[in-house]
Amino acid sequence: MNRFLSSICRNINLTAFTRDASGQFKPCSDMPDWLVFFLVKQGDTGSYNLAEIFPYLSCFMEDAEQHWQAKRSEPLSSGIWIEIDELERELPLEASIMYLEGQEVLLLQQLGEKYTQDLSRLQQVRNSLLTQEMLESEVQRRTLEIRKREEEIAIKLVSLTSLRDEETGAHVRRIGLYAAVMAKALGWNAEEIDTIRVAAPMHDIGKIGIPDRILRKTGVLNDEEFNVMKKHTEIGASMLRGTKIPILNMAADIALNHHERWDGSGYPQGLLGEKIPISARITTIVDIYDALVHERVYKMAMPEEEALSLMQEMAGRHLDPHLMKMFLSLLPAMRRIRLEVTEESEEPSEEESLEAVCA
Amino acid sequence: MLQKKVCLLGAFSVGKTSLIQRYVNKLFSEKYLTTVGVKIDKKQITVGATDLSLMVWDIAGEDDFTNIRSAHLRGLSGYIVVIDGTRQNSFNVALALHERIKTELGEVAAVFALNKCDLKDQWVINREHIRTLAQLGYPVIETSAKLDQGVEEMFMGLARQLVPENSKA
Ligand SMILES: Nc1nc2c(ncn2[C@@H]2O[C@H](COP(=O)(O)OP(=O)(O)OP(=O)(O)O)[C@@H](O)[C@H]2O)c(=O)[nH]1
Ligand SMILES: [Mg+2]
Repeated sequence: MNRFLSSICRNINLTAFTRDASGQFKPCSDMPDWLVFFLVKQGDTGSYNLAEIFPYLSCFMEDAEQHWQAKRSEPLSSGIWIEIDELERELPLEASIMYLEGQEVLLLQQLGEKYTQDLSRLQQVRNSLLTQEMLESEVQRRTLEIRKREEEIAIKLVSLTSLRDEETGAHVRRIGLYAAVMAKALGWNAEEIDTIRVAAPMHDIGKIGIPDRILRKTGVLNDEEFNVMKKHTEIGASMLRGTKIPILNMAADIALNHHERWDGSGYPQGLLGEKIPISARITTIVDIYDALVHERVYKMAMPEEEALSLMQEMAGRHLDPHLMKMFLSLLPAMRRIRLEVTEESEEPSEEESLEAVCA
Repeated sequence: MLQKKVCLLGAFSVGKTSLIQRYVNKLFSEKYLTTVGVKIDKKQITVGATDLSLMVWDIAGEDDFTNIRSAHLRGLSGYIVVIDGTRQNSFNVALALHERIKTELGEVAAVFALNKCDLKDQWVINREHIRTLAQLGYPVIETSAKLDQGVEEMFMGLARQLVPENSKA
């Protein structure tokens, strides 16, 4: 190699090798000092097994072989790897191979400054990606926390009424969960699903404004009493209206309309069919289901089969027939909620060991 | 001596380099220095009656992890997929990487490491995530490169899969 080219090679820390018939590599440019430390391990024969000296290259040789066999002259790069030199410093290295003038050529370069620059650029990119990831997950965590609090507040509100009319906390939670299953099946987005899960349980909140003599009466209500009782829909709606909180707005819709009937014979407005907000139509179905299949102070639990056939009779008259059909197709999910969310099951333990989970 | 090539994979900054540093050199640094290029470390261990020489490949945590060079996986006997327990994204990357390797190499030995278990109060990885991993049929081990927890166990968990059945203790 002429002196001019040699000094270029030295300048850019590049060493050229050609491969001989036995597969050993012979340097054909001056050997830089840093490389000597690695090559001496194989003695002073003048040719070297580079894949043994640099184990990284062992995975590159297969591709290199194909490249040489095909006598391709464009360079093929090994990718960057790091070696530790005699001063315990990291050396970034890269090999390129090509077929030139009947020779199998390998260029070994110590990347130096260029690598340091690439590294610091990438470091910056990754640091900022990390920050971004952290911020996003923080926002997500807080949103979830806020949701949880909203839900807790809603449940507390509901419990004000249930103290008086014996509804249980588990019933209230179940209503939300059933409604969420319906919403999901209807293709609502995650936020809307969350909203109905929290809003549906508040449907009876207006009962707080109904006097005890009517709310807790054990016998049948007379007309005058029933008219007072009906007011719980409007009382609930007016309690919940007047904010910009989506959950409360939906809860108000549900409270007002959960006694409307598909055929227009319900109260308070006698709305017909799809004029009744869908959130309320959903809640009506799941509330009836849950009330029928559970025991109350004043009644026994009804077997599910019986409850369902009763509800099917109500479809088209009292209940939205399409939603009712959907409800039936979702029965396995509904059943799981019914069986798993009971008074005893509230508050499952959070911590569980890795072994237990993996078992 | 039996020589085996193993590699650590995972999203960037999950602690691949730190786990290797802890295992091979008993060191840990808080500072994040990203890896560019491949670094190979060696470690001799004994599993039962078998002496093993592990060639541990630290493969750079590509931002686009599908970019891993196929050549890097050549001759691979096993791999450790590292997840940062505090980052949901690293879990998704881990599953995708595992899939990618399975399609490329078929069944090889593997371990999942849930790293940074010293930061449990910031973990986003929950029971569901762990169950999903466990169902893949490989050991799932909680580790901390910082406190040297589970690191030895993680490498041994992989090494045990690398020696023939009858020579295990
Ligand atoms: N608290 C804690 N920090 C850790 C642990 N392991 C690694 N870290 C920190 O996490 C950051 C990233 O660690 P690295 O080992 O560089 O991660 P890597 O996976 O090699 O990253 P790339 O090379 O960029 O793909 C560093 O700041 C480490 O100090 C751990 O177990 N606990
Ligand atoms: Mg690294």
